[in-house]
Amino acid sequence: MMTNPTLHRTPLLAAGILLGAGLGGFVDGIVLHQILQWHNMLSSKLPPDTLVAAKVNMYWDGVFHAGVWVLTALGLRLLWAAGCRPDVPWSGRTLLGGLLLGWGLFNVVEGIIDHMVLGLHHVHEYTAQKLPWDLAFLAFGALLLLAGWALVRAGRHDTAVRGAAVR
Amino acid sequence: MRLVSAWILFCWLCLNAPQAWACQVCRPRVQAAIHAPGYTANLGLLLLPVGVLLLVGLGVFFASDIRQRLPRASSHDD
Repeated sequence: MMTNPTLHRTPLLAAGILLGAGLGGFVDGIVLHQILQWHNMLSSKLPPDTLVAAKVNMYWDGVFHAGVWVLTALGLRLLWAAGCRPDVPWSGRTLLGGLLLGWGLFNVVEGIIDHMVLGLHHVHEYTAQKLPWDLAFLAFGALLLLAGWALVRAGRHDTAVRGAAVR
Repeated sequence: MRLVSAWILFCWLCLNAPQAWACQVCRPRVQAAIHAPGYTANLGLLLLPVGVLLLVGLGVFFASDIRQRLPRASSHDD
């Protein structure tokens, strides 16, 4: 397919990736850390089996949340910048694809670095079989990457820039 | 501008707060466990995935600018 060389989709895609990664981090933190309480950031190194250890883990969870907040805020800033550019097609499919790519990237990057390589924590810390949960987390990330990639490819057909797209 | 300055000051105060406000009984032990010798290592390891994702996002955002600055290997690669 021929693409218009004067149009750039990567700024909107990048905004979606950062927003998706940040929001994916919040899903992890809110659902797996706080609601289900399956793990904390350092729960493999420092099991939260005393009040002090739980509070220390809570501190490091807060640092992690601060990091993903920065990703989200920067994603918003990039979204604003992309929206102001006349050479960026305002495509919902590209943005949604970027969001899914970002969430999938978060799962894969965090899953490989924290769960597999460094062993800082595992998805379900309090079970005998940790590996299946870690692999399922990675597989879900890969699924999100595939879905995001498909949406981004579909978004190549969207060429209307902001203003023209919402008219 | 004033809002940005206030926000930066707020963030600075949060990051440089002398201690987390755990209850008085366990506060010293919590502080000691957080600010242990491995603090910097823990901080680096924990923020490593965030840093990687940040670089990926910024790399994609500036991809076209980066590509323009790189010498082209072939005129047929568009």
